[in-house]
Amino acid sequence: MTLQVEKLTCGYDRKKPVSRELTFEVKEGEFVGIVGPNGCGKTTMLRTISGILKPFAGSLSIGGQLVEHLSRQELARKVAFVPQIMEPVEGFTVEDMVMMGRLPYLERFAFETAEDQEAVNWAIEQLRIENLKGRMIDELSGGEFQRVMIARALAQEPKLLLLDEPTSHLDIRYQVKICKLMRRLRSHCSLLATFHDLNLASRFCTRLILMSRGEIVADGAPADVVTAENIWKVYRIKVDVKKSSKNDKVRYVLLP
Amino acid sequence: MKRVLNKNQAAAATVVVFFLLVAAIGVSFYLGSAAIDPSQLFNSDIFWQIRFPRVILAALVGMLLSISGVVLQGVLRNPLADPYILGVSAGGAIGAAIAIAFGVGVVVFGMSSVPALAFLFSLAAVVMVYQLSKVSGRTAPETLVLAGVALSAFCSAILALIIILTGNLASIYFWLLGSLSSASWTQVYTVIPYALIGGGIAYFFSKELNAFLLGEEMALTLGVDVERVKLILIAAASLMTAAAVSVSGLIGFVGLIVPHFIRLLVGSNHRFLIPLSTLTGMLLMVVADAIARTVIAPQEVPIGVVMALVGSPFFLYLLRRRRRGER
Repeated sequence: MTLQVEKLTCGYDRKKPVSRELTFEVKEGEFVGIVGPNGCGKTTMLRTISGILKPFAGSLSIGGQLVEHLSRQELARKVAFVPQIMEPVEGFTVEDMVMMGRLPYLERFAFETAEDQEAVNWAIEQLRIENLKGRMIDELSGGEFQRVMIARALAQEPKLLLLDEPTSHLDIRYQVKICKLMRRLRSHCSLLATFHDLNLASRFCTRLILMSRGEIVADGAPADVVTAENIWKVYRIKVDVKKSSKNDKVRYVLLP
Repeated sequence: MKRVLNKNQAAAATVVVFFLLVAAIGVSFYLGSAAIDPSQLFNSDIFWQIRFPRVILAALVGMLLSISGVVLQGVLRNPLADPYILGVSAGGAIGAAIAIAFGVGVVVFGMSSVPALAFLFSLAAVVMVYQLSKVSGRTAPETLVLAGVALSAFCSAILALIIILTGNLASIYFWLLGSLSSASWTQVYTVIPYALIGGGIAYFFSKELNAFLLGEEMALTLGVDVERVKLILIAAASLMTAAAVSVSGLIGFVGLIVPHFIRLLVGSNHRFLIPLSTLTGMLLMVVADAIARTVIAPQEVPIGVVMALVGSPFFLYLLRRRRRGER
């Protein structure tokens, strides 16, 4: 399902919007990475698309339906969000936490159905966390917790999965693991995620959007976005961009 | 933190507590300062007019306080939240003090002036706290709690002034400690609707309460209309607490301990937490009231004193056990 963002202006204070007139699309099966310096409006935009913040102007539509016409519950069945920081929770097993993703589908007084259990099992399988199922959520390591949170979002059976810096705070093994997983999930839903690590993002995303000061500076294939010129323009850092001869992937290296 | 019981065991525990409650009610019918021949119990006026309504009222107050404790701890995401955190107690105390000290004679829904004024002032306090903590249409839980604490401090000052100026220390203080000694059928009929409707609302929103556990933003992305649900639940909890305060004064600890204890047993799922806390709160109050009536009979210990004497050490024990379990 396609996400269409048109002239989206959003932020916390109407007088000082964080992002202005953003326009882009995320098509079915895409894994789009949003990159840009701290404070450029990546997270704010993601939080607006997820429905946490109300847009100040512009429109958001999913599969051709305007988001403002959807109820919260309907939106929650289409879009799932994995925040960067979660408030601490206790008293949950991993399985309970993943089951929380079924809330948008639960009938008022009914208990979870076999269908819900199936969706939870599927999400747990996708994240390969079967071994954690019975563990308490407050006993997990950072990498384990991140995978549980993604499983919870997947249990929502979203058409669009939003992730805010899913790889920060993780060691490189988990960074790659999570990225590979997200790339694999493209067959189930479109993905839109923010990244700090340009190399990681350009290695795994199908497309990159580079933001700076609340505006989109570049949007396209990773090789077209991660260029020495763009990086200088946005980060004021001199780099050399190298292209792999094998698979067309690009990566930057800092110039000495 | 490991919970003790799984889903089926939690359901079983609910049934067990239900039967314990029935048993406790049955036993406490036979307890009291007036000695009644057990075979003549059901023919005595003392039973029908005093003991019966009192035991039922104890159970209802336990239900009101424990449900509003569960709800407020859930909505405010604050483990310290108890039914009195939003200033209900402080407002109620002033209302009762005014009624006692100045002998105000109003009757609302058949309630005499002390419960009636306590009820009205409790609600006024909650509305004030809620309005004060509202910033651009949103209420952050922390602000709400802080506003409640600030208003309570202000109310205690007013209460102290009333006591000093009118010299009614003993009767006001006795009310503040909490007591069911004035229980009557009228009081039972006045609080029953709050207990049933309030309990119904809490259970109706148990799914949303579960979502609140993950924080308000996560709840939003899980499809919960956060501000609306929060308002409904806070209003319901406040009404329930005000109803309890109006008939029994300030009985501390039930609303704080019961939900915590049950959470340790069955985890944080409100589908189990609400029914089991309700029954446990009822059971606890019935037992505490029986102790209050009998332990130094014919005199009575205020039930608030019984609760605090038994409740505080038990709560500390739970807390320490839990901390140890985490290590």
